[in-house]
Amino acid sequence: MERFTKKQKKELKRIIIAFVLFVILLIAEHTGVFPEEGGGMWLLLALYLIPYFIAGYDVVRKCFIGIKNRQLFDESFLMTVATVGAFGCREFGEACAVMLFYQVGEFFQDYAVNKSRGSIAELIDMAPEYANREAEGGEIEVIDPDDIEIGDILVIKPGEKVPTDGTVIEGEGLINTSALTGESMPRPVSAGEQVISGCINGDALLRVRAEKEFDDCTVSQILELVEDASSRKSVTENFITRFARVYTPAVVIAAVILALIPPLISGNFTAEFGKWVLRACTFLVISCPCALVISVPLAFFGGIGAASSKGVLVKGSNYLELLANLHTVVSDKTGTLTEGKFKVSYIEAANGYSTEEVIRLAAAVEAGSTHPIAKAIVDACDDPVSPNKVKDEITVAGKGVKAKVGRHEIIVGNHSFLKGEGVAFDNEDSLLHGNVAGTMIYVAQNGKYIGIIVVSDMLKSGAKSAIADMIQAGVKRFVMLTGDSESVSSLIASELGISEYRAELLPQDKVHAVEEIIGEAGGSSVAFIGDGINDAPVLSRADVGIAMGSLGSDAAIEAADIVIMDDDLAKIPEVMKVAAKTLGISRQNIVFALFVKFACLILGAIGIANMWIAVFADVGVAVLCILNSMRMLVRK
Amino acid sequence: MKKKFKLIDLDCANCAAKMEEAIKKLDGVTDASVSFMTQKLMIEADDAVFDEVLKQAAECISKVEPDCKIDM
Repeated sequence: MERFTKKQKKELKRIIIAFVLFVILLIAEHTGVFPEEGGGMWLLLALYLIPYFIAGYDVVRKCFIGIKNRQLFDESFLMTVATVGAFGCREFGEACAVMLFYQVGEFFQDYAVNKSRGSIAELIDMAPEYANREAEGGEIEVIDPDDIEIGDILVIKPGEKVPTDGTVIEGEGLINTSALTGESMPRPVSAGEQVISGCINGDALLRVRAEKEFDDCTVSQILELVEDASSRKSVTENFITRFARVYTPAVVIAAVILALIPPLISGNFTAEFGKWVLRACTFLVISCPCALVISVPLAFFGGIGAASSKGVLVKGSNYLELLANLHTVVSDKTGTLTEGKFKVSYIEAANGYSTEEVIRLAAAVEAGSTHPIAKAIVDACDDPVSPNKVKDEITVAGKGVKAKVGRHEIIVGNHSFLKGEGVAFDNEDSLLHGNVAGTMIYVAQNGKYIGIIVVSDMLKSGAKSAIADMIQAGVKRFVMLTGDSESVSSLIASELGISEYRAELLPQDKVHAVEEIIGEAGGSSVAFIGDGINDAPVLSRADVGIAMGSLGSDAAIEAADIVIMDDDLAKIPEVMKVAAKTLGISRQNIVFALFVKFACLILGAIGIANMWIAVFADVGVAVLCILNSMRMLVRK
Repeated sequence: MKKKFKLIDLDCANCAAKMEEAIKKLDGVTDASVSFMTQKLMIEADDAVFDEVLKQAAECISKVEPDCKIDM
């Protein structure tokens, strides 16, 4: 049982006292303690007014303040009018019950909303509560994160939260990024590397230099984005707001009509009036759209919180909505579907030579180069040749490198480069022809071809299954866009199970391609997945721009509508499921609430449902809708 | 200038919507939003008239919900 706030406890006491008094009076009334004639009725009225005011004095008060401020279609006003109407019709018990049940409903709503706010705050619990600042003399001062200044030396003990973004100056260990990314895979950090606020330190003591003040650090940015996200309303929420604005006046007008027309038609106005006024009051009681106005935004708020706990920042409720109806996904290749780093993926040696030789010689020659392909080759070599054995390096840009390694003349480069240098290829057919995606680097020793090294940009592990999951989640069309060559792209596309791709695109071609695809989508939403830095214009052009956020990249967080903090493509189908659940719950609530309300209106007009039942139904519906929305907060 | 404020005692979702509309209509206000879920008020208005706008916004708020206040 959650603790109630002071305000809620007071409210609860009032309700209980009023309820007890009410029940006593009800029993007394129905056992004939109060005679109908003379003073008996007035006494009963006076007595009923006691629990009525205990439960509802604030409602009546607000009603009068509302009249003064010309706020007429106010809940308080409508409830007051309805209950006064009931009193006027001598239905004292009913009037009192209505006020009581209304307050019970309000109490539940308040409780549920507060609980949800708390749960969501828990889901996104990443803010550090304190920081340890090291002073000049080495003593440690415990301070509020807001007091951190750039350049402060902060000490982070094992198990503590990193208070702000910074650089490690001393210490080596693992940090847990789960608060930001939803993954508990620990990341190694050591001196010279960045740490991000919100991460939890592992077993090592870290001394960190603060690079940002708390207000500007990653955690603050994320928390602010999540908060602002609920201000960007979804289409559903906007509909509810407009509906509520129309619904309440409409029901009130209907109530007035109901109070006046039937008695007039019947010809016996005075006798019928009371009956119809009572029914009209029932209308007033059902006229508040609270169930929808609270539960729908609550569901979306919960959805954003749930996404955030999985390490996906959704910058607006409308994006959650678009994600749930995603038909087309366009994705960048390099850095999004692939790692964006080159690695040696395949080595083949010619007859009489070993792959170790091939890689050693190639690495020796490429050792001085900063080209990513050269680095990949150097990284792949476990047993490097010592640099003083390598002489006379000549680099031909875009083609290759040659050097003397020991006594041997080694050439490393593309096919045309080696051919140009007069290298003889024994058997051209044995050379790989487009079977492995990547850049082919040929190695020759003393004019003879000795082997081939294929350097590839590795596919992200999980990319294939993520794409399959997206298609299962409802995506009908997946298109890959890239500036890379046709041959490489074709291989990657088939490996990932992508049927549509466009290769050799210049940056501006990508924007055109996305625009074309948006046109072809005919109204259903198109998402674009890219890295934040290079794809900014495309990200903003798409209906939903998804950036692989690489933990704290400001550019990515700025440009995109949805940021995946840890570059894991599998998060996309996951957040699509969150979006689908959110929309599902909103829809359920809307259908359920409208159905019950209209049913009550009809039953109330006919006279089957009296005010008790109407209020009960109204309160019940609101509470059920709110509880339903709280399903969004279940932590998986 | 765009500023955010915390609202105290914002208990009614309908009221949040009404306040937002009223504040949006004030002179000098470019944009405003009231979030019932986060209990926050955001006002974007010309620097020169911001203080005046804030005062008027506070009035709008108390008209709609008498107990609700801006946390300055």
